[in-house]
Amino acid sequence: MQKTKTLNILIPILSILLAFIIGMLIILLLGKNPVEAIGYLMKGAFGSKTNLANTVVRSMPLIFTGLCTCFAYRCGVFNLGGEGQFLAGSMAAITVTLLIGHEGWWVTIVAVLAGTIAGGFWGLLPGILKTWRGLNEMITTIMFNYVATLFMGFLYTTALREGSVPQTAPVPDATKIGRIISDLRITWGIVIAVVLGFAIWYFLFYTSKGFQLRAVGFNPIASSYNGLSVKKYMIAAFVVSGAVAGLGGAADILGTQFRLISGYGGGYGFDGVAIALIAQLHPLATVAVAYFFAVLRVGSTTMQVGTGVPTSVIDIIQALVIIFAVAGSSMLYLPKVKTFITNIFEKKEVK
Amino acid sequence: MNEILRMEHISKQFGDFYANKDINFDVREGEVHTLLGENGAGKSTLMNVLIGLYQPSEGTIYLHGKKVQIDSPAEAVRLGIGMVHQHFMLVEAMTVMQNIILGDKRFKGIFIDHAARRKEILELSWRYGLNTDLEAKITDISVGAQQRVEILKALYRGAELLILDEPTAALTDIEVEGLYSVIDKLKAEGKSIIFISHKMREVLHVSDRVTILRAGKTIQTLIASETDGKELANLMIGRDLVECDYEKKESALEPVVELKNVDYNKTSKHNGLNGVTLMVRKGEILGIAGVDGNGQSQLSQIVTGVTMAEAGEVMLKGCKVGRVTAADFIDKNVSHIPEDRNRMGLVGNMTVEENLLLKSTQKCDFCDLNGWHLKKKAMRAYSEKMRAKYDIRCQGMDQEIRSLSGGNQQKVILARELEAKPDLLVAVHPTRGLDIGATRYVRDNMIAARDAGCAVLLISADFDEVLQLSDRIIVMFEGKIMGEYSGKNPPISTISLAMAGK
Repeated sequence: MQKTKTLNILIPILSILLAFIIGMLIILLLGKNPVEAIGYLMKGAFGSKTNLANTVVRSMPLIFTGLCTCFAYRCGVFNLGGEGQFLAGSMAAITVTLLIGHEGWWVTIVAVLAGTIAGGFWGLLPGILKTWRGLNEMITTIMFNYVATLFMGFLYTTALREGSVPQTAPVPDATKIGRIISDLRITWGIVIAVVLGFAIWYFLFYTSKGFQLRAVGFNPIASSYNGLSVKKYMIAAFVVSGAVAGLGGAADILGTQFRLISGYGGGYGFDGVAIALIAQLHPLATVAVAYFFAVLRVGSTTMQVGTGVPTSVIDIIQALVIIFAVAGSSMLYLPKVKTFITNIFEKKEVK
Repeated sequence: MNEILRMEHISKQFGDFYANKDINFDVREGEVHTLLGENGAGKSTLMNVLIGLYQPSEGTIYLHGKKVQIDSPAEAVRLGIGMVHQHFMLVEAMTVMQNIILGDKRFKGIFIDHAARRKEILELSWRYGLNTDLEAKITDISVGAQQRVEILKALYRGAELLILDEPTAALTDIEVEGLYSVIDKLKAEGKSIIFISHKMREVLHVSDRVTILRAGKTIQTLIASETDGKELANLMIGRDLVECDYEKKESALEPVVELKNVDYNKTSKHNGLNGVTLMVRKGEILGIAGVDGNGQSQLSQIVTGVTMAEAGEVMLKGCKVGRVTAADFIDKNVSHIPEDRNRMGLVGNMTVEENLLLKSTQKCDFCDLNGWHLKKKAMRAYSEKMRAKYDIRCQGMDQEIRSLSGGNQQKVILARELEAKPDLLVAVHPTRGLDIGATRYVRDNMIAARDAGCAVLLISADFDEVLQLSDRIIVMFEGKIMGEYSGKNPPISTISLAMAGK
């Protein structure tokens, strides 16, 4: 209905505004000028061609992990393993690249495929545990994140280590995912990310399978009574969402980071969860919110340099956005709020 | 005997619906007073009023002759009212002793004087014959023992008036005997008991008096020794023969579904089937009568492929059914109006249109490219047609289905299930919670489906409904078939006795 649609857009926007107001108060309490600070933030994110490009680059992995969460949650599967699946993708991509030993565009394609498959596989495991053994996926997927992170440690310190520094060799130049414009760091990876956002949106709302997947997500019991195979859809949701994150990992390592080092990929998974939730699980909104997160991340560094306001303030703002968005959506279920909202909308309709 | 409790003119209203209307009920010291009634007769509502979970819309409660206001379960406990719920309220991971002293407010302080508590509990359990191992964990003891713990818990908190809600529902026969002797001891000690049940045999066995509730009203209070099962059954069901508007038919066509000696969860009296044999022919309505929870849910799930029989044969259109899913049955043109429309029938967060098309988006009427593109226009046209045909009242096709009234939700299910032109329609409590108009509408449609040659299996706890619609009637009790009767001039008193297990 019109009402729910409006609210779905209104709540995130209000949350962002509210979070910014509180963030600015904090800056004021720190004895700095909040308007100036926000000015620097904007300058950092949009100030020049390079800055604009950096923001876009920064948003790419977030789009993938956000879409990963979005897809899984739509099927009622609480996949918190975006991080592990993302890393599985990066690890598979770089391992394949280094093992092949050649370079060239065909290696890129093989590596991207390997990353996607690895991500899907990393999602499949907790999926099997959930559907056949009834294990809670929120716990298993987080555990699988640790496994992936630690395995990455093994790769860059031991198996694929290059020289004395604990890191892998870089992706050869000819295998890197190409830049769209040669003097900016934006790669074709961002195009893949955005296209994927549209593809998932189309799948969920314009195909029969997507429709059934959403039905399973909302009410698995009714879905099984109506002849849908709930287990099949849940497993598929795990695999596809894992593959989305894995593709992101491959695109990131082949286009932006080029090698595995300590701390690589940290936080992308959980940022993805936050992004998808703020976007109310809408794939296109997920892409937009991921970009917004990237703006905050890139801009906050400039802000710190320019005004001395620590980047942590931006972390606080980010956390507040999440809290307000989630609180806002659940507030809608309160009876008083419900009647209040219906009143507003009914008055509009009368007019 | 002194009167301990008196509830006068109690009414409880939910919206426009009266769950209790002008109920009068009293309990004397040392008696067992049974509340008898079908599901939805208002027994639970009345008890929830008594233990302070609900506030009555009208009426007053007197305890020991004094007017009381019971505004919370804690207040009920303070006044000496204890309830043993049908589903026990115990912490499974804790021991019996811990469960009993849990929430005890009489003693303040940081430490628990275990020895003193234990002595007190042991005295109680000895006095009433409630033997339990205080150190055992709840998970490790039998259902009967858990019930003894619940009773002990209530007594420990000083209950003078005990409410036992369907206490025998989960017990074995031997455990039931044990419960009877506990009840006798409680009576001898001057405790009063409100016994809630719909099983005639045990009601006659344990009660001193019986009050019958029907459709939220008190019908009559009888002295147990002066009545019999037949009178109680008739009062409970309230049979003044309703004139039957629908023409009954006898079908001699081939059976669509047949069950032969089907077992499912056989040992359970309330959630199982025991050697069920029946068939539904084309062009007839077979009605299953029986008090809720005698295996009807399991029967409906087996004939729609949601669960599989554990033993015996299920034949669908002459083919034996092996490993199947609901999808296989749907492919064979079986439609299902499930017992719980919100949980099993509809996806509440989806729209009216999406729910109407829940089963059919894969059909070429509504999609191209093997399902990879939905024809939104065709979907909208179809759902608008259904809205008009089935008189679904909603603001628009994009309205979330959970915001519709129960009657309109049921019409959506009806539209979805009947438009498939089913060969077999399984309808479980199809009119539960609906108003008169919607009820009539649903029934007319089922008759129309029958006349079009569909085999209809009607499972309903509403006896009136079964009598009005069925061409044949089968009575189920504790997972077994008690008998089969013709739908024309059915022997009502025989059927109601069969429903009570006699």
